[in-house]
Amino acid sequence: KSARPNPPGPTLFSCKVKEAEPEQENDDFTLLKSLAEGQRSKETNETPVRESLEKEPYFPDESDSTKNRRLVEDYDSTKMENGKYQDDPESFRQVDGTPLTAEDIVQKIATKIYEEDDRGVFDRIVSKLLRLGLITDSQADSLEYEVAEALQDLITKNAKNNEIEDLGEDYPVTRGDQDDQNPDAKGEEEERKDGLQDLQYFPNFYRLLKSLDSEQDAQERETLITIMKTLIDFVKMMVKYGTITPEEGVSYLENLDAMIALQTKNKLGKTLGIPGIIPPTGKTPEDDDNTKAEAAKMQKEYENLKDSTKEEAPSTETRDHPGKSEIYLEAIRKNIEWLKKHNKDEGKDDYDLSKLRDFMDQQVDSYIDKGIIEKGEGETIKRIYGSL
Amino acid sequence: MNRFVSLVLLWTLAVLSSTGPVTGAEEGEISFEYHRYEELRKALVSVWLQCPSITRIYTVGESFEGRELLVLEMSDNPGTHEAGEPEFKYIGNMHGNEAVGRELIVYLAQYLCNQYQQGNESIIDLIHTTRIHLMPSMNPDGFEKAASQSGELKDWFVGRSNAQGVDLNRNFPDLDRIVYGNEKEGGANNHLLNNMKKAVDENTKLAPETKAVIRWIMEIPFVLSANLHGGDVVANYPYDETRSGSTHEYSASPDDVTFKSLAKSYSQFNPVMSDPQRAPCRKNDDDTSFTDGITNGGAWYSVPGGMQDFNYLSSNCFEITLELSCDKFPAEDTLKTYWEENRNSLVNYIEQVHRGVKGFVRDLQGGAIFNASISVEGIDHDITTAKDGDYWRLLAAGNYKVSAYAPGYLTVIKKVAVPYSPAIRVDFELESLVERKEEEKEELMDWWKMMSETLNF
Repeated sequence: KSARPNPPGPTLFSCKVKEAEPEQENDDFTLLKSLAEGQRSKETNETPVRESLEKEPYFPDESDSTKNRRLVEDYDSTKMENGKYQDDPESFRQVDGTPLTAEDIVQKIATKIYEEDDRGVFDRIVSKLLRLGLITDSQADSLEYEVAEALQDLITKNAKNNEIEDLGEDYPVTRGDQDDQNPDAKGEEEERKDGLQDLQYFPNFYRLLKSLDSEQDAQERETLITIMKTLIDFVKMMVKYGTITPEEGVSYLENLDAMIALQTKNKLGKTLGIPGIIPPTGKTPEDDDNTKAEAAKMQKEYENLKDSTKEEAPSTETRDHPGKSEIYLEAIRKNIEWLKKHNKDEGKDDYDLSKLRDFMDQQVDSYIDKGIIEKGEGETIKRIYGSL
Repeated sequence: MNRFVSLVLLWTLAVLSSTGPVTGAEEGEISFEYHRYEELRKALVSVWLQCPSITRIYTVGESFEGRELLVLEMSDNPGTHEAGEPEFKYIGNMHGNEAVGRELIVYLAQYLCNQYQQGNESIIDLIHTTRIHLMPSMNPDGFEKAASQSGELKDWFVGRSNAQGVDLNRNFPDLDRIVYGNEKEGGANNHLLNNMKKAVDENTKLAPETKAVIRWIMEIPFVLSANLHGGDVVANYPYDETRSGSTHEYSASPDDVTFKSLAKSYSQFNPVMSDPQRAPCRKNDDDTSFTDGITNGGAWYSVPGGMQDFNYLSSNCFEITLELSCDKFPAEDTLKTYWEENRNSLVNYIEQVHRGVKGFVRDLQGGAIFNASISVEGIDHDITTAKDGDYWRLLAAGNYKVSAYAPGYLTVIKKVAVPYSPAIRVDFELESLVERKEEEKEELMDWWKMMSETLNF
């Protein structure tokens, strides 16, 4: 029942940050995690993916990287509003409701605006969220109000404290900033190594980054990292706004990692680890027109891969339906989540995974015999259980 | 951006943005679409994967074209009949082009599983105390035909019958005729399919789907059931076939009162079905027999060889027929609305299985008596006990005299006051005739002994 200690040291997404990451960022994802899973008594094997996401959020923007500075006090945990929760991660296991987490978001946006000295940050973020349907207009309005207030507080606080900004910081950014990093190259290198340590919880993503070792890959790497962060943040947002459940959020991110494995195998010809067959849904948002052609090409390559690995199951799936593996994966995940929660509620020990796996294997075989499940599907299900 | 990165982003954005607005926690988890056979199979498998401790998938047989007649069973101990736990079934899509029932049963399976895991107490209780069998489609071949039609409007007839052209709801042995005869001349009032196995196996007129369902009915001691159709909106109850053979005639079963109560329990939660102002589905439809969203089968129109009456007359199962949509195969985007109209009715109707009188019939040693008869005074329809001696006698609220009888045993009669719900537990201990004879003999011996001692002989 003991809580996982927070990962020490700098994280990937705050490359230049030497201080310990702020607790409040841990809170976001701890909350997400706790909403999704309830208490965990098992540690290592099952928590990796979640743990990697205990970092401060990062809002992508196009401004000059030299302006991206963090306030020292962001990393000074004793000044955190939510500092009282730090010492007792257990208290985060209780879902105490949205107010706490919405404040975090507001704080972060306000902080960003302050740093950038640019109100456009807010507009960009909110318009993206609105466009994706992740928040409603009225939610956007109240967010605006709250951010304005928080910003005002920040200004007041900072004027009082007369803080010194940490000039050494930098963020993973888009191309063109490579030159700026030279003076700090060595430090950054070390940092990256340390930062990558955390990504082991996204095993496939981590391996992919590791494989992008060379200099010409460096920019691709940075971009990937940026994207990953963005995705994580969007997922967190959606969970907080109730658009998806925490389980779905966690499951998307895990699916993402699995898909990365597959795409990497396809693209780089390397196998990263467990091949997860998570095909893209085929829907493309309008605002990515310029990458549609590329995506379509990737899609085709994926299709070929999929056909060669699948058995001759009659395919009535249209492009609009998620693959059955994804549906089955989702269903199995829901069961595991429920089992964990259920056992916790009943005060029992954690369910016996190997027993469950054996039972399911047995059932699957029986269903294959009776023509209820196809052989290939049965293997997929067994494989999913095997990888838990 | 490189291709890989862009694809990762695209995919995730697509997946993230494809989660539409959540109207209610449970509705957000169900995808309201039509399921072709493969999709249906996968949907059921997914429910099983999500809730393996309370579900099981099995098949009762194959359709003419070899599709499995799949059933998803839900209970706290799937795969077994627990003594005293009533069995319930929903069967949909026996007419392949009547599609709404098929989909509603799939959504219901998903709904029950989701609600169970989300801690919905009444659903948890229902699943723990009932064994629920869900067969989304009895005629998967017909459905494929109907669904393959192009264009918006599906034909009124294409896909209705099975792949052999048999209308499954006219294909069951006509037991109504037999019971009507027995009413006049005397004879059994229940379990009228004589020499069942032989009758079914050797009957060449029975479609494979019909045979499979008959065997299913014989094997599992179903108590309550509903059969989902489309083309109108009403809850229809026995008898379906008219006594005189005319096309419209109210044909009450012995359990007319009980059936009306059961049918109403469905219609009352469906706002469309129970709407007294609802216009008929088609201008010239005759819905004069409909009241409160229910109708007697014969009063509406005579149906011989139907599955509903077959259940009642061959087994202990009470079945009604639910007509759920004016349009037999409506557009996909209407499915969500049909679900919303029917969800409460569907759940509440399952709960109706817990009504009336229930219990065990045992001998004096506590052993179960299988196939004992349970009679209710004033209702000319008996039911029988299952293998553990357990029985469930559905009854509307009222005062009844209930008796248990088995060959070789003495009948026991008990008076019971039955509320609307829940079911009242009434157990019977039956003394066998042999035991009674022995007792009487002993009494006689005792008397003789006393007499001889007194009179000194």
